[in-house]
Amino acid sequence: MAAVAAIYDELKALGVEVLAVSTDSRFVHKIWQEEELSKMVPGGVPFPMLSDPGGKIGSVYGVYDEAAGVDIRGRFIIDPDFVIRAMEVLTPEVGRNPEELLRQVKAFQHVRATGEVTPSGWQPGQTTLKPGPDLVGKVWTVWKPE
Amino acid sequence: MLARVGYEAIDFEASAYIEGVGFQPVRLSDYKGKWIVLCFYPGDFTFV
Repeated sequence: MAAVAAIYDELKALGVEVLAVSTDSRFVHKIWQEEELSKMVPGGVPFPMLSDPGGKIGSVYGVYDEAAGVDIRGRFIIDPDFVIRAMEVLTPEVGRNPEELLRQVKAFQHVRATGEVTPSGWQPGQTTLKPGPDLVGKVWTVWKPE
Repeated sequence: MLARVGYEAIDFEASAYIEGVGFQPVRLSDYKGKWIVLCFYPGDFTFV
């Protein structure tokens, strides 16, 4: 969570709201913030930390591990129409890459604004594709993997 | 119903701790109209 907090300013600049969810109570969230997170990131985690006792929310999002009784790492990007655009789910021992989160948000925002599509590994400013009959079989003329 | 990409997010309400605000219920659909990043994680005080 501290890693997401570290890129919060960039997410905020992109108009993104962050919500964090675990099975911990709101009381534990408060103490974690005060005792640890605020020492990792200045000011601590600036977004709401939600409590999901029993994993009801996690179950609906496919991330609740009944055996362990916790929500595993799952990250969802939801667009302004309330449609889920991306999901990434990892088992607990490997942390996420916040840079990839930023890249995906920028790509989905670009797609939404332009109707273009973005090739693999796309970063802002790089070539995008405009789907249509003329592009069929011709992607190689405008884009190749690096 | 399960959450899937390309489909509408499933709404929920949860109690939350918000820095500078305190304890407050949060509903996912309160954020409709904005980009939302929803992050689940295994627990406070874990190591990664």
